[in-house]
Amino acid sequence: MMEAQTIPKPIIPRFPSLKFILRAVAVLIVAALFFVPNYVEDTYILHMMILIFINVVMGSSWNILGGYTGQYSVGHAAYFGAGAYTTMLLLQYKQVAPWYGVWVGAAAALVVAVIIGSICFRLRGPYFVLASIAVAEIFRVATLNLKDITNGAEGVLITEIPPLVIGGRLITDWASKVPFYYIGLVFALLIIGVTWLVRNSKLGYYFQAIREDQDAAHSLGIGLTFYKNVALAISAIFTSLAGSLYAVYVGFIDPSTVLGLDVSVQIVIICIIGGIGTITGPVVGAVLLVPLSEALRSNMITDLLIKVGIVGEETRMGLFLKEHLSQAHVLIYGILVVVTILYMPAGIVGFVRRMTARKARA
Amino acid sequence: MAILELRHVSKFFGGLAANSDVSFEVPVGTIMGLIGPNGAGKTTLFNCITGYYPPSKGEIVFDGRAMNGLLPDKVCKLGMARTWQKVRPLTNLPVLDNVIVGALCRTRSVRDARRIAQEQLHIVKLEGKAHLLAGALPIGERKKLEVARVLATKPKLLLLDEVMGGLNPAESEEIIQLILDIRKEGITQMVIEHDMKAIMRLSDRIVVLNSGEKLAEGSPDEIVNNPQVIEAYLGAES
Ligand SMILES: Nc1ncnc2c1ncn2[C@@H]1O[C@H](COP(=O)(O)OP(=O)(O)O)[C@@H](O)[C@H]1O
Ligand SMILES: [Mg+2]
Repeated sequence: MMEAQTIPKPIIPRFPSLKFILRAVAVLIVAALFFVPNYVEDTYILHMMILIFINVVMGSSWNILGGYTGQYSVGHAAYFGAGAYTTMLLLQYKQVAPWYGVWVGAAAALVVAVIIGSICFRLRGPYFVLASIAVAEIFRVATLNLKDITNGAEGVLITEIPPLVIGGRLITDWASKVPFYYIGLVFALLIIGVTWLVRNSKLGYYFQAIREDQDAAHSLGIGLTFYKNVALAISAIFTSLAGSLYAVYVGFIDPSTVLGLDVSVQIVIICIIGGIGTITGPVVGAVLLVPLSEALRSNMITDLLIKVGIVGEETRMGLFLKEHLSQAHVLIYGILVVVTILYMPAGIVGFVRRMTARKARA
Repeated sequence: MAILELRHVSKFFGGLAANSDVSFEVPVGTIMGLIGPNGAGKTTLFNCITGYYPPSKGEIVFDGRAMNGLLPDKVCKLGMARTWQKVRPLTNLPVLDNVIVGALCRTRSVRDARRIAQEQLHIVKLEGKAHLLAGALPIGERKKLEVARVLATKPKLLLLDEVMGGLNPAESEEIIQLILDIRKEGITQMVIEHDMKAIMRLSDRIVVLNSGEKLAEGSPDEIVNNPQVIEAYLGAES
């Protein structure tokens, strides 16, 4: 049928696609984020935003290894802690400014990654997961016991951050939250940009091939050990940046807060809830989970329930919630993860995608 | 000249000799058929040749180079690619991306790889399915995808493990034409197949395996007239 081929396709006026609109909205939000400190004075909001940025960095970093490459590390606290400890120890005991320290921290995380990679990548599936937990725990216990270097369980408290002066001009004395806000924002955008670059390059294709089927990937010319280690290296470096920023921002670290298993689990949960193996997944996860965990910790939810009148303050229920809900955040996290895995196995982002795809077809 | 040479290759799984003392050569540009009853050790031999595991004994020489101990990724880079009897699509990736992964074996550029992948999909007539997830394809198309993906790695030697298994006659015929076209490109092939008619039509030479041992080797005519083969294999079939 020659005619059929020569008839030009009718030109259908094209409205901006959903994808285009979402991208435009994302750009606007990012632009707006740069001006937030100019208008928002409330330090609590800035505090939450900083924590969200840090969690975005944590989740997105894990996502490179876990989401794209399919290596479910539950030991990322090791890299978070490597950054945090290196930066803090250098700052507190060697007077090395944190803006140099973070890079030493990243290098330290890289060394840790090489060690962990050489041990864990011999294993697959659940064995890899268990090994990643075990090796991270070794780092925690070592940090706890190497008191001469790490100060053991007492942790490291910084007394002073030197003012940042560039070309004779004082940039910041770190007294407010604003500089941390901008650093967090830049780190978050950086890892999102890196993820985008990775996904659209040879690396991204190879990472995903390894995730989908290691043997098939191997037979198509993909060096498994090499590419897994590359994924881990990228992941570890950015996780360490999150750790360093967290440490300097909070001003205090100890083995359980930066090297504990719950840090590793938090990192994974951000991705599971948001959506593994997508760029936006960890962002969505962090935006939801940080406020939730803060609300749980600070008894905000109980206060709200009492205020709205759902439970009376002096009733048994009210007293019970006041007493225990703040300690139950791990439990609630657990429930959330179970519900997500059961009903939205691809996380919120995957769920929304499926819904919009279904609509588009209908 | 032989592109592939097996010298006394054996593979043991515990006490079981899945391959024992197998030797033969595959001349450049030909199609070598590999047949034998189920469990004869055909897939195991492919696994040894492509580095999936090292042979327990013996030597494998590809393109003048001893392959012993080389891992599958290195083997693929040297120009040997295989398909899997039990197909292994990258299920959550689009069909096109599956082939791009293969093409990236020869280039860093995703754009070049995409172009190569589109050509390969065109060759196996899957271009219309490029954007579906590989996991959504029916078996016939998965087999074609498997072939497109290894072709994209630009192999000198292609090992096809039962690519016609589970296909209907029309689909099988398509694959047969594809294999003949691939030969025209100068790519050497080793083909495992159960369909006797197809294998006789395709092969320049045939090796018969039985219980891990090489039972016979020769042209299709020689093989069909070999009493040992008829006894051990063709006889058992009918
Ligand atoms: N990984 C393995 N471990 C143990 N035995 C195996 C393994 N792979 C294959 N075998 C055995 O080796 C023999 C040959 O199998 P295979 O090469 O798959 O035969 P074919 O492809 O000719 O049907 C069979 O008896 C099979 O059970
Ligand atoms: Mg087989």
